[in-house]
Amino acid sequence: MRTVRLYLRLLGAHFRSLLEYEADFVILVVATVLMQVVNIVFLAALFAKVPALNGWTFWSVLMMFGAVALAEGVGSLFFDGMWSLAWQINRGELDYFLVRPYPVALQSSSAKIGVNGLSNIVMGIIMIGTGLAHVDIAWTPWRVLLGALLLISSVVIKLSINLATNAVSFWLSSPTPLFAFAMHQVGDLARFPLSIYPIALKAALGAVLPFAFISFFPVAYLLDTGQSRWIGLLTPLVAAYCAVAAAVIFKRGMRRYESAGN
Amino acid sequence: MPIVEARGLTKVFRRPDKGPGLAGAVRHLFARRFTDKVAVDHVDLSIEAGEAVAYVGPNGAGKSTTVKLLSGILVPTAGDVRIDGLHPQRDRTTVAHRIGVLFGQRTQLWWDLPVSESLAVLRDIYGVDHATYRKRMARFDEVLELGEILPVVGRKLSLGQRMRADLAAALVHGPQVVYLDEPTIGLDLAVKDRVREFFRSIRDEGTTVMLTSHDLADIEGFCRRLVIIDQGRIIFDGDLEAVKDKFARERILHVETAAPVPLETLRTSLPGAKVEAEDTPTRYAVRFDRFAMTAGQAVTTLAGLTELVDFRVDEPSIEDVIRRVYSGELVLG
Ligand SMILES: Nc1ncnc2c1ncn2[C@@H]1O[C@H](COP(=O)(O)OP(=O)(O)OP(=O)(O)O)[C@@H](O)[C@H]1O
Ligand SMILES: [Mg+2]
Repeated sequence: MRTVRLYLRLLGAHFRSLLEYEADFVILVVATVLMQVVNIVFLAALFAKVPALNGWTFWSVLMMFGAVALAEGVGSLFFDGMWSLAWQINRGELDYFLVRPYPVALQSSSAKIGVNGLSNIVMGIIMIGTGLAHVDIAWTPWRVLLGALLLISSVVIKLSINLATNAVSFWLSSPTPLFAFAMHQVGDLARFPLSIYPIALKAALGAVLPFAFISFFPVAYLLDTGQSRWIGLLTPLVAAYCAVAAAVIFKRGMRRYESAGN
Repeated sequence: MPIVEARGLTKVFRRPDKGPGLAGAVRHLFARRFTDKVAVDHVDLSIEAGEAVAYVGPNGAGKSTTVKLLSGILVPTAGDVRIDGLHPQRDRTTVAHRIGVLFGQRTQLWWDLPVSESLAVLRDIYGVDHATYRKRMARFDEVLELGEILPVVGRKLSLGQRMRADLAAALVHGPQVVYLDEPTIGLDLAVKDRVREFFRSIRDEGTTVMLTSHDLADIEGFCRRLVIIDQGRIIFDGDLEAVKDKFARERILHVETAAPVPLETLRTSLPGAKVEAEDTPTRYAVRFDRFAMTAGQAVTTLAGLTELVDFRVDEPSIEDVIRRVYSGELVLG
């Protein structure tokens, strides 16, 4: 609890200075809203030609887009510093993190705020909401609870993948997170139903780096669409697994940290 | 029990052997070759609570690497470290509360936050209560004059301002052990004096200090113990004053006489001293061992021979001694 409170304290400090000193705050927000709008227009144009993708309607795919945008948004608004990890390692900036009584990964991830995350979150919620409004689900309290759990798990999976792929920088010596960024791009594929992809890609997105659990499987379960819907129920387990794996990878990496000569 | 203890501490860095350019980088991908650089080599060190230790050595000797090992930033290749009996990696959080680290080359302030906010964030990370924090800051402010720099954003600080803020940052939590790695680098004389005074005040409060510096004036009058490291190995560990007594005992008396005096006359009247002529015919330099003769005796003797216009006594500083150690001219035993 103290860890969470401190985390918000750290972010809050950066946020205040952002508002105070950064003029491009608004520009960033507008730019990302625009990006999401482009995404939706593209999607709408696609579905104007093809009414459904393997049984998936526009509204259900919109929900998947929303889930990915939301997870990504949480990642940038609250944990953007992770993307600076490669740089921090390269410059020896973990030195001071390592002598403070607070988790190193959290000091790294709180170092920066990605304002664009704000619009991703808002747009993500809007997309999920709109999608939900257009599909019929028999809502029971149990289903609402489950939906919330799936959503949280989806965000946790994205964050864990971000942390794990960025922690690979402990092994690579590049000052930019090329690997993590490439994986992030791969993750964008998860905005479309997994069933349209060839088997190898399915395996990659379902098991190796389980991006499909951010959007496809939980949405499929919730909407009762496609085959093997039950897999969606595994989402919380996958989230727990990813979080533990990311933490282990980070810890291992930390032992390899060599600081930097001046 | 010593508060800092290192046994057989060793750190080897592996540097990739890459040929020049892209070709070299590609070749490295297939045939990985490394050279090992032993930065710290079997260092044994134990520091008692309340000690002030000077840790000196030429560039690249392994000083910063030692500090990183002693604070748990680096995992040693061999050997181990105990801080107050604790393991710096395994008990990272507990150890963090007990140590303070300052790397003069690098700031720990957040570049986008005002100094006051950086310090307040650190206060919360360390869980220092507000009353204690206020008291500590008031004390830091007395010596470091933080007032004017508190509202300034990290990235806009001058070097001297940054260093003062960083000193406060390294000590917000009142650590028992403080490692200061080149804390006066790039500071002007006035700020240096202030910072040195600050060091004395924390030492007098009983804080254990390990200080690394190339400016040996930081050390004189502050540290009683001197540790010299060269090429990763400790080549001396002992009392600073004893070193001075043993190796900095020569004094040089510069005199100016009213009229030229033959060198021979001076030499015979001061047996045991070396007398040389200086740039003008009426100036002489007299070198003597301060345990064989006092400066007063030398001056009295010369004044009996001839009329003295002026004189001055030079005493070598620890700097001269250490310069001779670095150059290999002097071996401390
Ligand atoms: N992160 C690193 N990776 C590889 N080699 C390193 C690293 N840090 C230090 N070294 C090497 O280890 C040796 C000791 O470096 P260190 O920084 O400890 O020296 P130092 O005594 O602090 O020197 P200076 O007085 O210049 O600060 C040097 O040869 C340096 O090049
Ligand atoms: Mg150094």
